Formats: sequence, C-alpha cells, structure tokens
Amino acid sequence: MILSPEILAIYILNFMFLAFALIALYLSLKIYINYDKNSSDTIQYTLERQSYLASTIIKFIFAIKVPLFLFFIFTLDKLSNVLSGAMCGAGVLDATEYGTILISLKILNIYLFAFWLVLNKEDLNQEDKPYIKIKFAFFIGLFVLFLAEILLEYYTFYNFEVDKLVSCCGTLYSASSTSFVSNIFAIDNSIIVSLFYINFSLITFAYVFKSKYVYAISNLTFIVISIVALIMFFGTYIYELPSHHCPFCYLQSDYYYIGYLIYALLFFGTFNGLIVVFKDRFFKLSFISNLLFVVLVSIYVLVYYLKNGVFL
Amino acid sequence: MIKFKNVNKTFKSGRSHTVDALKDIDLSIKEGSVVVLKGASGSGKSSILSLISAISKPTSGEVIVDDKQISKLSDKFSSEYRLNNIGIVFQKYNLVEDITVEQNVILPLIPKNLDSHVVEEKVESVLDMFGIKEYKNSPVKNLSGGEQQRVAIARAYINTPKIIIADEPTANLDEKLSLDFIKIIKDLKGENKTIIIATHDPLFFDLDFVDEYIELKDGCVV
Repeated sequence: MILSPEILAIYILNFMFLAFALIALYLSLKIYINYDKNSSDTIQYTLERQSYLASTIIKFIFAIKVPLFLFFIFTLDKLSNVLSGAMCGAGVLDATEYGTILISLKILNIYLFAFWLVLNKEDLNQEDKPYIKIKFAFFIGLFVLFLAEILLEYYTFYNFEVDKLVSCCGTLYSASSTSFVSNIFAIDNSIIVSLFYINFSLITFAYVFKSKYVYAISNLTFIVISIVALIMFFGTYIYELPSHHCPFCYLQSDYYYIGYLIYALLFFGTFNGLIVVFKDRFFKLSFISNLLFVVLVSIYVLVYYLKNGVFL
Repeated sequence: MIKFKNVNKTFKSGRSHTVDALKDIDLSIKEGSVVVLKGASGSGKSSILSLISAISKPTSGEVIVDDKQISKLSDKFSSEYRLNNIGIVFQKYNLVEDITVEQNVILPLIPKNLDSHVVEEKVESVLDMFGIKEYKNSPVKNLSGGEQQRVAIARAYINTPKIIIADEPTANLDEKLSLDFIKIIKDLKGENKTIIIATHDPLFFDLDFVDEYIELKDGCVV
C-alpha cells in the first residue's frame, strides 16, 4: 500500500463525496417513493424543497468530480516514479487487476453524472417538472456505480506494492503483450484510420442535416474509435516513435500536457454529441469540439510528414 | 381569479417551536376586484400576500391564480409568474435610494430585455400617470415619503401586472398622503387590476370602491 499525499487527498475527497452522496441517496429514495405531483399536502412541499437540496448535492459532486478525474490521472503519472518498471500512468493502472476497470468506470460515471445534470436542467425548465421521479431513480442507479468506483479506487491504491515490478507502457501497448488492450493491435492501421475519418464524416453529415439520432450514435462510436486510433496511430506521431502507443505519456510535461487537451476535446465533444437527443442547441458545441479534436490529432501527422517526408 | 384551497403556512422557530401563520384558509378573489385584508399584526395578512406573489410556498394546500397552481412552481417559473403578473408596493417602499427615480422605476423591465425606446415610452407614461415626472432624474433619497411611495407604485405598475399587492402601504404616511394613495388605488381599479391591500389603517375600512374585506385573526379568516 502506498499513501502519498495525492492518494490521501483522493481518499479524503472520496469520503466527503460518499457522505454527501449518501444524503442525496436518502433524499432520492424518499422522493422516488413518495413524490406525487398532484398532491398538495405537507409531505409534497417538503419533498419539493428536498429535491433542490439533493440536486445541489449531486451538482456539487459532479463539479468536483471533473477536476478530480484530472487529478487522478496526474496522481497515476506521479506514482509511476514510485512503482518499479512503470514509466507513466499506464503502468500504474496495470499494477493491480482493478486499474483498467477503475479508469473505465470513472469515465463512464462522468458521462452519467453529466447526463444527470442535463436531465435535471430539462426537468427544472418545465413547469410541471416531468422528470423529477426519473432523475432521482437515475441517481439511485448512479450511486451504485459511484460506490463501486470509490471501492475500486480504494482497492487499487491499497494493492499497490512498491517492491513488485510492473510493466511499462511500451510493453503494455504492444502487439506482443498478452493484455486485453493488445487485441486491438490485430487490426490494421489503415482500417483504424479509415474508420476514424469515416466516423467523423458521418458526424459532419449528421451535423449538417441536423439528424440528432445519427449524430448521437456516431458520437458514441467515435469515443471508442478515437481512443483506439489514438493508441494505434495518432499517438505514434505525437511521440514521433512508431513503436510507442501509450495513451498516457502525452499527458506528461515532455509533450506539453497535450493529452489533457486531446481528451478534454474528445470527451466534451462526444458528451454533448450524445445529449443532442434531448437538446438541439448542443449540436454546435459538440461539433466544434469534435472538429478541433480531429484537427489537433491530424496536425501531428501532417507536421511529421512535412518535417520528415514520410509517414510512420 | 385567485383561489386558496385549504392553505396552511407554518413557520419553524428553533427545533420544536412552530408558528401557524395561516390555518386552513379557503378564499377566492375575483379578477378586477379590490380586496382589503384586515387584521392585527401577526394575523397572517403578509403571509397571504407572499403566497399570492409566489415569494413563499404554503406548508400544505393550493394557491391557484388563473387556473394555475402557483404554489407548485419551481423558482424559475415563480420568478416568471411574478415578473409578468404581480406588482408589489412594500411598506417601506424598498427603493434603491442612491439611484434616480427613473432607474428605480425601470428595474422590473430589465429582465424583459425590451428595446430602449419602448422602455423610455413606458417610463415617461408611468411617471406622468403618478405625477412624478419632474423628479425623473432625482435620486430617490431626496424625495419625501409620499413621493417615494408614488415611485414605488410606479415601479409596481410599469410591467402592467394583473395583480397589484400592497403591504401596509400607508404605515409611514400621514393622513393626507394616505388619502392620496387611496385615490390612486381607486383610479387603478378602473383599469381592471386586481388589487389586494393588507392593512390595519382605519382609513381603508369604509371605502365604496372596495369589493371585499377579509378579516384575519390568528391565521384564520374571521
């Protein structure tokens, strides 16, 4: 077990989150079970007031969760100095069996929390608050995932062993690795790159014709295809090394922290792309973000080609 | 039409002490009528006004204005309802003393984002109507009590609300100015406004244009 100041800070914040989330869970259960919009008795007015409290708590958790996710990535990177063999966050995540699940769950939870906020806003923007029961039922489900994330995070940090040799990202993200991630190396690069640009073309098409369902679905596939394309293709141009595929190293200072911008654009663009199903006005925001992401990663390839006259 | 159906309002004071400001109130106020709420301090007059203006919510029961249950509106819709339907004249006027009469009167128009010439027209017309045009550019703090009240009425009126609420409007005025206020109310009645006045000033208790007197005692309609 390692107890660095960063891990300690994450533990304390998780404890606070859990305390607040439990209050929100208790209120959500009460509202879900008892709320009746046609009733005007004391309980209903109390529940309405409590719904504001629960919503505020959930918004607070989300507001801290987003920067905390970046802090979590930063902590992983920092821990790579402590764990033997690890060169970046990838090796740290692979140090325990929970790491990959944890980061996947963290990303999923951010999407779900953000979706809850959209639902909440929609609810409050309508006079008869039509989603009040749905949004609190959704939070009850979300709490389970949130609790799982906190427990996984605890186990991940708890199971770190300083004297145990872990794999570096060069080993983990290579065709010879036996990890789950290495399966993607069976796919040809040209297929991945073609899929990436075809998917973005579909997003552009759906944006131009304002086809919200096509747009949302193409954003969903774009998350997966983009991450695979980053590992398989674009990352190598950021590193200017054909054999280096790590999706974490470009979060480091050696690459001017460009990874944070890349992931922020991807997640922001695709999240807004998913919620256009509810709100048309997110089309533009999502498309601009996705476009900037595509331009940014493509520029690395172009610059490399212009500098060296060849592709990797 | 304003309707109260079995409305209760309880305030908590400390952990166990509660004050029942309104108890099982049922009442209805017709559109375009002038209603005076009578009663001693603490009888529940102001609580009724704050429920009609959606500033507060009941503990139980329904407050319905024009077939809409306003007691169930969220903060956003309560504000919209208040902006579009209610004009309030407060006992202490609640004016911003350091800015001019015009700037005070304009305040309720700000959220509406109207064109500047529309705002200008409205302000000119309202200041003229309430006889305070000459003070347009004067800071409110330089005006007398009666003049300040006219500014407060002009501010309540400028959004052309359907309902005008006045809470102890003459508490700080002498008899002459109070009679002036009563005359203004009488003139407003001619415009089919619903006017609800909470007062214990005897000057209001025998007015021919008042449609209904509702007397309150200890949170109940007497």
